[in-house]
Amino acid sequence: MSKITQKDVERIAGLARIRFGDKEKEKMAAEIGAILGYIDKLKEVDTDGVEPISNITGMENVMRKDEPTKNQLAEQAAEAAKLIEMAPDNKDNFVKVKAVFGE
Amino acid sequence: MNNSVNTIKSVNEGLKKGEFSVEEIVADYQARIKKENPKLNAYLSIFDSPKLETRNYKLETSLLAGVPCAVKDNILISDEKCTAASKILEKYVAPYDATAIARLKQAGAPFLGKTNLDEFAMGATGEHSAFGPTLNPHDTSRVSGGSSAGSGAAVAADLAVYALGSDTGGSIREPASFCGVVGLKPTHGLVSRHGLIAMASSLDQIGPITKTVEDAAIVLNNIAGHDPMDSTSVPVSRELPDYTANLNKSIAGLKVAVPKEFFSEGLDNQVNNLAQAAIAKLESLGAHIDQVSLPMIEYAVAVYYIIVPSEVSANLARYDGIKYGLSSNKKSSSLLDVYLDSRAEGLGPEVKRRIMLGTYALSAGYYDAYYLKAQKVRVLIKNDFDKIFAKYDVVVGPTVPYPAPKLGELDDPLAAYLADVYTCPINLAGLPAISIPCGFADVEDKKLPVGFQIIAKHFDEAKLLQVAYNLEQALK
Repeated sequence: MSKITQKDVERIAGLARIRFGDKEKEKMAAEIGAILGYIDKLKEVDTDGVEPISNITGMENVMRKDEPTKNQLAEQAAEAAKLIEMAPDNKDNFVKVKAVFGE
Repeated sequence: MNNSVNTIKSVNEGLKKGEFSVEEIVADYQARIKKENPKLNAYLSIFDSPKLETRNYKLETSLLAGVPCAVKDNILISDEKCTAASKILEKYVAPYDATAIARLKQAGAPFLGKTNLDEFAMGATGEHSAFGPTLNPHDTSRVSGGSSAGSGAAVAADLAVYALGSDTGGSIREPASFCGVVGLKPTHGLVSRHGLIAMASSLDQIGPITKTVEDAAIVLNNIAGHDPMDSTSVPVSRELPDYTANLNKSIAGLKVAVPKEFFSEGLDNQVNNLAQAAIAKLESLGAHIDQVSLPMIEYAVAVYYIIVPSEVSANLARYDGIKYGLSSNKKSSSLLDVYLDSRAEGLGPEVKRRIMLGTYALSAGYYDAYYLKAQKVRVLIKNDFDKIFAKYDVVVGPTVPYPAPKLGELDDPLAAYLADVYTCPINLAGLPAISIPCGFADVEDKKLPVGFQIIAKHFDEAKLLQVAYNLEQALK
C-alpha cells in the first residue's frame, strides 16, 4: 500500500494546491513512500473496539454565543481595515481576487 | 554585569536594589545580541526599542517586570513581523497579541525580538528555517535543536534572560536538551494557543525556555490559565496553584517510573549513563524508583507522523496567496494558478512534505487506514500512561537519544522524525513534561549538553516542577 507513484503525487498535489516540478515529484514520491512504509507498522496494533477521541483532555464541541466579543464598533472597524490591508490585493474595502468563473 | 548568571530572579533582585535600570539591562542585551547573533542566527528580528509597558507593573509584585525576553517567531506580537520562518509570511505583520504575549505585557515584560525556528515549527534541528539554521552555542558546527531553535540558543548564549517557545512533538524540550537549558511543555490546554501560528492544533502548546527550573515556574505562573479565545484551553474550576510554592519541598517517598522503552536501542551510551546518574540522584533524594513498560510507545512516532501532517494539511490551507502573505500573482494567471504558485514559491520542502503526507492520509480511501488508525493507537498510548500514573507520580528518562547532531547529519526525513521518539508520545497523551540539563557528553573535544526529561500527570505541573527543582539542585 505504501508504494507511491508519480501519479499519486500528482493527485495529492492537486488536492493540496501545490505546483511541483518533475524532479520534485520524483523525490516526493520516494520520501512519502519511505515514511508510509515506516507508518505501516501501525497495522500490527490491535485496535478493535478502541474509540478514537478528538481531544486529549476530553473536551468536545466548545461553544460560545454568536455575538461580537468586542463592544467598541470602532475597534472592530479598525481591525477589519487592518485585515483587508494585509491582503495582497484589495479594492474598495474588499479583498480582490482573480475571476472565479471563466470569461 | 555578569550575564551568565542572569536569571529572572536575579534580574528582578538587581532592579529592585537599583543596581541597574530596566533601560540599562535592555540596552545591555541589545548590545550582546548585536555582537553575538551573527554567529548563531538565533534572532530573526531584533526590536530597536522594546516597548516598555511601564504603566502598571511593580517590581515587588511582578517578577517579570523589566526582565528582557525573547519570543519564538510563530507567536504574534501586535504590530511586529511574525514570519514562522517561512517565505510565505516573510512580510506578515501581526494584527494582534497572542494571549501569552498580552499576559507577559501585563506583567511588564520587555521583548528583545523574535527567534528563529524550523519553518512553521516543523523540524527537530532548526535547519528547516527559510532564513538559515540556528547554530548551537556549545559548538557552532552543530544544530541547536528544533523547532524552537532560536529560543534555545538565545537563552543558552544569554542573548535573553528567558524565552517563549512552542512544543508540538518536542520543540521546546529538544532545543533545551541540545543547548543545556530548561524547557517546559505544559499540559495541552493549560496555556492559550490564541495567537500561536497553528501547526497541529491537538498537540501545539506554548511554554518557557529558561536557565533554571524556578524561572520556568515563574513564567508559567504568568502565562497559564483559561482563555475563551482558544477552544482547547481548559476551563480550570479551581484557582491555579503558584507553581513556585512547593519547589524546594522534599521529594522523599516520591514514586518514579522508568519505562524500559526509553532505554532501548539507538540510545547514545553517554546519554544513557547521564540519565542513569540522574535517576540514581533521584533515588538518593528518597524517591522510590521502579522500571515499568509503556508498550505502545513504540508506535508513537508512526502515530505522530500521521496526525501531525493531517492537521498540518488542514491548518496550512489558509496560505493561499489571497488573504495575506506572499502571493504569486502574474497577469496571465488564473485563480488556481495563484494558489498553486504561491504555495510552490512560499513554502519550504519539509512543510510541503507534511502537507502532502497529510493530504494523502486524509484522502478518500485512506482515511480509515491511516488517520483513524492513528487516532485509535493514540488512545492506547494515552491509556498506557494512565495506567502508569495510577501508581506513580512522575515518569523519567532521557529527552533525546543523542546530543546535538552536526548540521546536515539528520538530512533524511525519517531519521529526523525519529529524534522525537521520547518527546512526541508526551504530546500525543497531552501530558506536561520538562527537560533539564543533566550533564555533558564528550564529543570530539567538545562538551555537549544532555537533557533529562520528567513527565507528570495532566495539570500536575506543580509536582513536575518540584521534582525538576530538587534534581536540578542535587545535580549542581
